[in-house]
Amino acid sequence: MSQSSGLNTTAWPMRIILWLFALMTVIPFGLLILTSLKSRPDLLQGAFVLPEYPHFENYVSAWIDGHFNVYFQNSVLVVLPVVTISIALGTLTGFGFAFLSFPFKRTLFVMMTIGMMVPTEAFIIPLYYEMRYTGLINTYAALILPQIAMSIPFATIFMASAMRQLPQEILEAAVLDGAKRSYILRRVILPLMVPAMSTLALFLFIWTWNEFLIPLILVNDDSFRTLPIGMLFFQGRYTVNTPVLTAGAVIVIAPLILAYLIFQRKFISGLTAGATK
Amino acid sequence: MSRSPLDSKVSSNLVFILPGLLIYGSLVFGPIIAALVLSLTSWNGISAPEWIGFGNYISLIADEVFFKSLKNNALLMIFYCAVPVCLGVALAALVWNLKQKEQLALRTLLFLPYIMPTAVLGIIWHWLYNPAFGPFNQALKLVGLGDYALPWLGDFTFVLPAVGVVASWYFFGFCMVLFLSGMQRIDPSLFEAAKVDGAKGIRTFFFITLPLLLPEIRIALLLTIISSIKSFDLIFTMTRGGPANATLVPNIYMYQLGFQLNRYGYAAAVAIVGAILIFLVNYAVHRLVRPNHGGDAS
Repeated sequence: MSQSSGLNTTAWPMRIILWLFALMTVIPFGLLILTSLKSRPDLLQGAFVLPEYPHFENYVSAWIDGHFNVYFQNSVLVVLPVVTISIALGTLTGFGFAFLSFPFKRTLFVMMTIGMMVPTEAFIIPLYYEMRYTGLINTYAALILPQIAMSIPFATIFMASAMRQLPQEILEAAVLDGAKRSYILRRVILPLMVPAMSTLALFLFIWTWNEFLIPLILVNDDSFRTLPIGMLFFQGRYTVNTPVLTAGAVIVIAPLILAYLIFQRKFISGLTAGATK
Repeated sequence: MSRSPLDSKVSSNLVFILPGLLIYGSLVFGPIIAALVLSLTSWNGISAPEWIGFGNYISLIADEVFFKSLKNNALLMIFYCAVPVCLGVALAALVWNLKQKEQLALRTLLFLPYIMPTAVLGIIWHWLYNPAFGPFNQALKLVGLGDYALPWLGDFTFVLPAVGVVASWYFFGFCMVLFLSGMQRIDPSLFEAAKVDGAKGIRTFFFITLPLLLPEIRIALLLTIISSIKSFDLIFTMTRGGPANATLVPNIYMYQLGFQLNRYGYAAAVAIVGAILIFLVNYAVHRLVRPNHGGDAS
């Protein structure tokens, strides 16, 4: 982070405006947590009134009666393989696009960028029928495989551009030493790719954790639903029980906030830099 | 381009790229092509698809609901793009003058919504807007504006801005952080020179900061416009396109046509038009918003 412009004189009114915007950003989350700790009678006292004591039982009923335990487990079971396999495949394909020659390289690259631009909504109908014909509807595979495929273009381009920045001499030296390519990839390139791969992991984690359309369309059995989609159906069932609904919302976003606070700088620099790619 | 020392013969090169390409081809690129073909047919999902050429696209031209969805999408762009980008630039210019610690705190807070699932944000805001016991209307009543406590998501006039505000809330912090990172690229001596020349803050902003931020502004525009065309999660969880199609956008229309009315060919045509719009916007933004000092940021 660099220094400020040397005009360290932002007047108090300006600072107040800035902090009001910050407040506006956080208030919905604050209200969410506050409401998740209320009982239903507390709720009638008004949205901004503190409860007499925190009602953590809302979390228990969201977790168990609201099936958030199942949704949470499903989210983890989907995110883990999607992130790891996408990084592995993206590294291999990225290695190919960075260093190797093969026919139709440009065409294949254009095909990748098309996949990055086209929204999932545009191909969800054929994807749905493909999953139906292969009998994968209502399986973890229906959630995992398409999301890996959707991650590959970004993972490939991201890893390829990171690998192209490696100093050429290191690779040449490794080749001159007579090392095999798979050995060079594993022992020379991969250790240098750890920062890029961890940024990529962060991206893929958020995207997959937050994915909505894929589980909405490709899964209709409650036992396979992930958190965002589970929350939607929970809202349909318990629309009156606001404290439990808000407790559920906190369960969905808590891992994100936790990860955000831990990897804050990486998140901000990664997501803004990723946007410029 | 010089050949990499790692290059080898094609057959052994393919081992590296085939796994990724196969899964991508079969689950993303293949379905994209299939959607293109499907959009040229009439298909109810059960009987064999019937080839009708550009029939679906011709019907789209006369489809008032589709035009309504495009119009809504255009209006939503004010909230998805114009508001966050303008607000983001203004806030970035203000935050820039703060001490490091305060800068970091504001960045952290304002960026927060951007990492959240928009579907869940939609459900949260649906509750915030609840006409009877939602905190938004309760706050209005507390400050004596009870007359304005409307059923926001049920009101034909206000539902679109009500949904749009959530999108602005989601994007403006992200835009601000993007612009702040752009400002770090700007040579500090330029600001010094402006100060020596006696330029006031506002002049510095319009004549130095803004022109040099053009690459980031272009990126922010591109990203937010594309997100507005892609919008589905937020609207689906808040209004499902209602009331009476007041917040219908092409992607929601596609969902209704395909997965509720079983008009898959027609739905695919709507989706393809959305994808074409994204390509056009991409092209237009790259052509129109040219940075005048080289596009080093992208």
